[in-house]
Amino acid sequence: MPDPETNPVVDSVPKVNEIAVGEDLAFQRKWWRFERIIWLLFVVILVCDLLGLFGRGWFSKAKCSTPDHALTVDYQRIERASTPSTLTLHFDPSSVQDRHIVVFVSNGLIKSLGARRISPQPAISALSEGGVTYTFDVRSAPTIVEIRLQPQMPGEYAFRIQTAGNAPIRRTVLVVP
Amino acid sequence: MAIFIIARAAFGYMFLVLMVRVVGRRPGKQLTPFEFVLIFYLGGLTLTGMVGSEGSLTNAITQIITVALCHYVLSYLRFRFTTFAKILDGTPLVLMEKSTWRTETLKRVNIQDDDVMHVARQQGIKDLSGIKTAVLESFGEITIVPSRVDEEEKSDPPSSSQ
Amino acid sequence: MGTILRAFGGYLILLIVVRVLKRRAGSQMTMFEFVFIFLMGGVIIPSTVGKDRSVTNCTCAVIAVGFMHRALSWAKSRSPKIGAVLDGVPLVIIKNGEWQKEVVHGMKLRREDVEAAARASGVKSIDDVDYAILERNGGISIFPKEK
Repeated sequence: MPDPETNPVVDSVPKVNEIAVGEDLAFQRKWWRFERIIWLLFVVILVCDLLGLFGRGWFSKAKCSTPDHALTVDYQRIERASTPSTLTLHFDPSSVQDRHIVVFVSNGLIKSLGARRISPQPAISALSEGGVTYTFDVRSAPTIVEIRLQPQMPGEYAFRIQTAGNAPIRRTVLVVP
Repeated sequence: MAIFIIARAAFGYMFLVLMVRVVGRRPGKQLTPFEFVLIFYLGGLTLTGMVGSEGSLTNAITQIITVALCHYVLSYLRFRFTTFAKILDGTPLVLMEKSTWRTETLKRVNIQDDDVMHVARQQGIKDLSGIKTAVLESFGEITIVPSRVDEEEKSDPPSSSQ
Repeated sequence: MGTILRAFGGYLILLIVVRVLKRRAGSQMTMFEFVFIFLMGGVIIPSTVGKDRSVTNCTCAVIAVGFMHRALSWAKSRSPKIGAVLDGVPLVIIKNGEWQKEVVHGMKLRREDVEAAARASGVKSIDDVDYAILERNGGISIFPKEK
């Protein structure tokens, strides 16, 4: 059996009052400065979160509508992954045609942003290229439709919503982890 | 997506390491009951974010392995590089020597003289004049070298606290 | 947004509950106390994060709790009064060999606990104890009588 590897004992630990302490005040001062910066950063993060820079707050709320205000969409500019949220479609009377509202929702919203439920239930949902077309029966307008979202993966996703005979609404949503 | 799960686990671990390091702990031989609760609170909150809505066994095992791997890498780096060990653990700090307080250190680490006295009492030292040197060790404990030992047996190295 | 406020609230609630529960004499934690502590920490977590189980939300909650702890320990180091409120004060159980009845009753101390602490520090009989002090973390420091 070979001898175990050995090394002579060298007293290398710095001394304070003849006691081996190994204090490194110069390093510690640097660390304290770093700590202050970190806490400052933490406060900034908390303030950003309170303002809604990471979603679910004042900053992330957004609204956009078609030029003729037939359709207005309330959505979150910034979403959080695996967190439920609601996207609301406001339909003006001018978007109702023949007692129906026909609205096209792109796959960006259905798949990427994870549309879970649409309420009220549409009378007809028809698959079309790049999305789904919903048809709602309408007695009177204005009215609203809510889409529950729950994005799975972080990333930046574009979506498109369009009612029959109107300009489309195109927006991008940033999903943070 | 597997990569997102692993990234979350790694982030959770690293973030907790940083958090525990900068929050600092109250010195003393043992954690107080509240500090235990705090640890579970911090750990549990991080865990909720790590797991998210994917509570499958595969997910759990992947994340456990990720965390274990992160811990292994960190331990290795700490062993290999002195600077890294200092960053992770901090260095021991002298709180009091030659009957003078290191005011700057005390202020920065939020320690009261009461805390030092508490440890002194556990070693059977009745007042502050009995302390030669008080050191805050990097693992959060305060060790005290009584002044008596030095005078009586100069040849022996001063006994450190248990 | 609500998460940060709930995290602050959760921290304070836990602090008050743990502080109000009488610290058990003798610094050893029993199995039951560990379970209890785990339960308290776990129970408050779902209500803190709510339905938002994203990394962002949980990170913010952790920062809020850490921030709170740091702020309180800063306050403690500045004002001994706040320290006394949050951590309690050391109490003298035995003074010059005499039991302090008020403290013993107030802290629900048992003679056995003090005896155990005395034994742990190498004092054979409780009559040999000069001073016994109940520390803030629940431990008991013993000073034997000088021979």
